[in-house]
Amino acid sequence: MDIDRLIRNDEVHRDVYVNEEVFGLEMDRIFGSAWIYVGHDSQIPNPGDYWTTRIGLQSVVMTRGKRDEINIFYNRCPHKGARIAGEGCGHTNGLFRCPYHAWTFNLDGKLRGVPYLDGYQNTSFDLTDPRFSLRKVARVATYRGFVFASLAEGGAEFEAFLAGIKSSLDNFCDRAPEGTVSVAGGVFRVVQRSNWKIFFENLNDTGHPIATHESSYRAARQYSEEVLDGELPFQLHIIDGNGAPPKFWSDLDLHAFDYGHSYMTAIFNAPDDPLSQQYFESLAAKVGEDRAAEILAVNRHNTIIYPSCSPHTSFQQWRVIRPLSVDRTLVEIFTFRLDGAPDELLQRTFTYSNVVNSPSSIVMSDDVHVYAECQKGLSTQGGDWVSQHRNAGQDQPYSGSDGGLIGVGTSELPIRNQFRAWHEYMSEGSGQPVSPETS
Amino acid sequence: MTSANPQSINSASDIDYEMVCHFLYREARLLDQRKFTEWNNLFAEHGTYWIPLVEDQPDPVNHLSLAYEDSMMRQVRINRLNHDRAWSQKPRSRTSHMLSVIVIEKICDKTNRLVVGSAFQVAEWRSFGLRTFAGLYTHTLLVSDGHLQIAQKRVDLIDSGEAFEPIEVFI
Repeated sequence: MDIDRLIRNDEVHRDVYVNEEVFGLEMDRIFGSAWIYVGHDSQIPNPGDYWTTRIGLQSVVMTRGKRDEINIFYNRCPHKGARIAGEGCGHTNGLFRCPYHAWTFNLDGKLRGVPYLDGYQNTSFDLTDPRFSLRKVARVATYRGFVFASLAEGGAEFEAFLAGIKSSLDNFCDRAPEGTVSVAGGVFRVVQRSNWKIFFENLNDTGHPIATHESSYRAARQYSEEVLDGELPFQLHIIDGNGAPPKFWSDLDLHAFDYGHSYMTAIFNAPDDPLSQQYFESLAAKVGEDRAAEILAVNRHNTIIYPSCSPHTSFQQWRVIRPLSVDRTLVEIFTFRLDGAPDELLQRTFTYSNVVNSPSSIVMSDDVHVYAECQKGLSTQGGDWVSQHRNAGQDQPYSGSDGGLIGVGTSELPIRNQFRAWHEYMSEGSGQPVSPETS
Repeated sequence: MTSANPQSINSASDIDYEMVCHFLYREARLLDQRKFTEWNNLFAEHGTYWIPLVEDQPDPVNHLSLAYEDSMMRQVRINRLNHDRAWSQKPRSRTSHMLSVIVIEKICDKTNRLVVGSAFQVAEWRSFGLRTFAGLYTHTLLVSDGHLQIAQKRVDLIDSGEAFEPIEVFI
């Protein structure tokens, strides 16, 4: 397939969203090589704990070994192929045992025992041959507890991959008085009838809220006016934000980095209330008032770590994109405790997630609907090209410490930036950036 | 509201099984008729609508929930469902609630409350097709001024941990 024909500087061919062959290549060349978010080490605090999820179309198991190390292997018994761990989180006592013929494996995936061992004499079977152990994924790396894996031996080093967007992970954790975060409260899972990239593009797309989310911000404002004299409690405040006027959106900053990463500055702030004050004091007690103020001054809305996840640093949300097929996407949504912060702050994190990220969110339902409408429209012969023209050619190099590019809040910079990385990966590069698209 | 004369109802133990069934059926009927405002009026002032995310979830505050709504959030959901530009409600959801195995599990005159368990199946038609929700309701009902009110409607879906497409109407 000729990948170059699918990409222009300011538009992409619809095949990138609807063509099954393209999707298959993405699973090989992007999800088969890029650093993909697997989970957080707080999900597996003790040896024998495991978390089962997907890297691209591959079922994988992340587990903590005896020496406290994190192992990730394909969820496939080397004997007959059965998966050796079920969905989600679990615990095993010191070894994995396949439910089919009871082959057993150490927590690092190494084959330990096979029933009827006598029967394997004079065959090519060998207990110590790695092909009879669970197959590990090629590379595993963690940063401040966030675990990523790459299915390819080659490709970008983790440090280089993460460099531009590392500051979002730092801020995510620095907000905790203890400097660490833990997954808490369960996992939301939402299915979208659309290509995985459509969701990703939406995360830093400030052109959509005022149109897509009109029903929910009007509903919140109606209640506020009719019942509360215009007051906006926390839940209504976060719904109302989507209805901000055009100037508000264009005044935001969008920052884009190599490997497809980006973030946008915050669209609403945590309320100025006794809980926020109590939280600030818990942070200041550990790091000092100046440092606490500095940490909280970094106020970002969605960060994009392409191609697998999107942290929301100021409300401790973490969305993970798991493609299912060319037109189906699973999103896992995690919430985190800021270790050392008041319990009530975690409760506010849950409230935020119930409103914005739950499958029953009155905000997200319209997003998911328009994604599916895009998928349907793009499947017609009504036009081959998808526009990414907004503010194309106007992005500037950013002089701040993180570097990268900066654009006005309503620029489609993050989308073009994602396709720059997409093009790299799909051309069987390492995702290593070519020259940025400045003008 | 119940069919009995409000004057004769002073406490939870004055409520009989038929009145409970009638109340639950009427609640379900209002949802299927999209009479959401009337449905919302069945709740007590601080009544909550709760869909836990996990089985046996002890509380809605220290854990994520598929939904946890007070009167404000229920009314905002209703406002949205009635809004012209609720894009995902074109065409709007249509539902059919089936309710059975209604059991009064607890009666407490001290708090004037009853706890009622039941089993349900809700079929919902959306633009993407017909889907089914199934599970157990736990209604905590409050007797107030001779009427029943909902102190809490807990909706335990048997597949609460599943991956869902958006859930927009009340189950």
